[in-house]
Amino acid sequence: MTTANIPLQLTRKDFVSNQTVRWCPGCGDYSILAQIQKTLPDIGYAKEDIVFISGIGCSSRFPYYMDTYGIHSIHGRAPTLASGLAITNPNLSVWVVTGDGDGLSIGGNHFIHVMRRNVDLNVILFNNRIYGLTKGQYSPTSRTGRKTKSSPMGSIEQPINPISLALSSGATFVSRSLDAHTKHLGKTLAQAAAHKGTSFIEVYQNCVIFNPQEWGPLEDRRERDDHIIYLEHGKPLIFGKNRDKGIRLDGFKPEVVQLGDEYTEADLIIHDETSKQLAYTLSSIEYPDFPAFLGVLYQEEKPTYTDGLFAQIQTAQATKGMGDLNALYRSADLWTVEEQEVVASDVKGTVALGMDDAYMDDLDKPEAVTTAVQDQLTQDTLASLTPRVPIEVDASTSLVKAIRQLNAHNIGCLLVTDKNDILQGIFTERDVLMRVAGLVDDLAAAKVGDYMTADPITVSADLPIAQALHLMSIHGFRHLPLVDEDNRPEGVVSFRDVVHHLTESLA
Amino acid sequence: MSLKEELQAERVSHLDLSNYCQLPSSTLVRDVLATMRQKGSIVCLVIDNGRLAGIFTERDVLQKVVASSEALEQPVAAVMTANPVTVSPDQPAINALQSMDTHHFRNLPVVDKDGRISGTMTHHAIIEFLATRYPTEVLNRPPRPAQFPSKAEGG
Repeated sequence: MTTANIPLQLTRKDFVSNQTVRWCPGCGDYSILAQIQKTLPDIGYAKEDIVFISGIGCSSRFPYYMDTYGIHSIHGRAPTLASGLAITNPNLSVWVVTGDGDGLSIGGNHFIHVMRRNVDLNVILFNNRIYGLTKGQYSPTSRTGRKTKSSPMGSIEQPINPISLALSSGATFVSRSLDAHTKHLGKTLAQAAAHKGTSFIEVYQNCVIFNPQEWGPLEDRRERDDHIIYLEHGKPLIFGKNRDKGIRLDGFKPEVVQLGDEYTEADLIIHDETSKQLAYTLSSIEYPDFPAFLGVLYQEEKPTYTDGLFAQIQTAQATKGMGDLNALYRSADLWTVEEQEVVASDVKGTVALGMDDAYMDDLDKPEAVTTAVQDQLTQDTLASLTPRVPIEVDASTSLVKAIRQLNAHNIGCLLVTDKNDILQGIFTERDVLMRVAGLVDDLAAAKVGDYMTADPITVSADLPIAQALHLMSIHGFRHLPLVDEDNRPEGVVSFRDVVHHLTESLA
Repeated sequence: MSLKEELQAERVSHLDLSNYCQLPSSTLVRDVLATMRQKGSIVCLVIDNGRLAGIFTERDVLQKVVASSEALEQPVAAVMTANPVTVSPDQPAINALQSMDTHHFRNLPVVDKDGRISGTMTHHAIIEFLATRYPTEVLNRPPRPAQFPSKAEGG
């Protein structure tokens, strides 16, 4: 790899495109997008060596939102384009983004073949068990009996288990994660990126509009650990918030047991990610009949398709010399297609355009009941936090003075403004640790303008509290400048203010 | 259920306490800073004979280290806050939060009765809890608030 020789520290920001992200508010895709953008800087590839390829569907809008190369390709066919690209240029990090519809309905066949070939690429399948883009029809992973727009009496089909399908197709890296489990998702993406060969990640994703109940307690931070088994190589399958439950084998049948007098840790299955037999057994258990497993189920090192293909090309060239494509084309029969008469169509009449009453009723149904906390998050504005008055300095202020200000006011951040009071940057205690302490010798000579974060993300007072929490959780911010429409500071919101407000006001 | 009640039911050990690094008390401040930068930690838990002896935070960097070149070459024990207040991992999260508010702490080391360290409690742990507890409202928001669509399906 030529470009990787230049050490360049990329950040999450480098992967954010200038396109407006268009998914329904609350869609799990947002979380997956944020985690991918967060993980990519650390996978060891230059930005221009990363490619995202998608098919058709909500998830397939992904390439627009990534500031990398990308192809929004043909329905179900992303694996074919990705395979071709990854083989042609083995130095690329190629990612296929697909869903349960795109990847397993129309693209089902391509899915099988990309899994068995072991081209060095990554496939992320967003599984929400519903068709989202076409507004709520059952998908290949929808559960039997599931009532949807296209299965009003319940689906009579057996769903596909994507993990089992990937395994039996010969995939060399099979894993699963969850959209809202940000830490786990980030870790799993990094593991997939590190695997040489085809990596498969199924991501349980919440379609907040058409299938919001599908993952139930898995999406609930308080309950999820009672329903998730985190797979770790060499460790027993223990789960539960209190780590008091486990999975054992009763013959060939996995069963959930309570740890205690009857069963101990020694009775449980020990996870072995190199065992295909164990992977087959575990792949058969699925939420909600069993707790859902997350993590790497199976991985093995195998020569990639590209290795094999290039070895054959080398052998062929060594024995037969370089080929001539032009000669090959002209070696077969050639013929000319003559112009033909146009045949008139005999189709008459129009297609009925009636509205489906049941569908309209469904759209009119009352919204789900929300809790007081949810209301507070989305309805209380940042103004209700009574933001503190910010301490402002100009960019030419010395670091000595800036640090004195932070200490004197016992605050964590200063806003840097110009002579018209327009916000230019933010300087925080984090910046002091990361860029100043032990790194800058002469604090009197150094200017805060050179050490601040320029053009910080800001918020306005009319935004809901949830927006501040969103920015704080995605970016790790502790302070957000509140500005007016001319970008003049009006206040600062700290994470402490937000937490305090939420815990105290509803006490 | 209010957030207060939720944090009453949630134990400290079940929050994300991972934002720290851990080093012996003899480590030079210069090296502590390097480790904190490299790991992105907001606090260093200082260890003596396997026990928590003190904490060294970003606030300590600001108040005791940044303006003093001698501080860099001292062991961290000289500038840390010794014998810090701690919280037990089986406490309800709300207790930890209230303790932090009372004392104006930004960090609270989490240590069990046998002295085992399981991490550090921060306000960020609560933010992370909220983001994943209410992913629809918090985590999965369009990144540009001005472009929040008027209809649920995105219109």
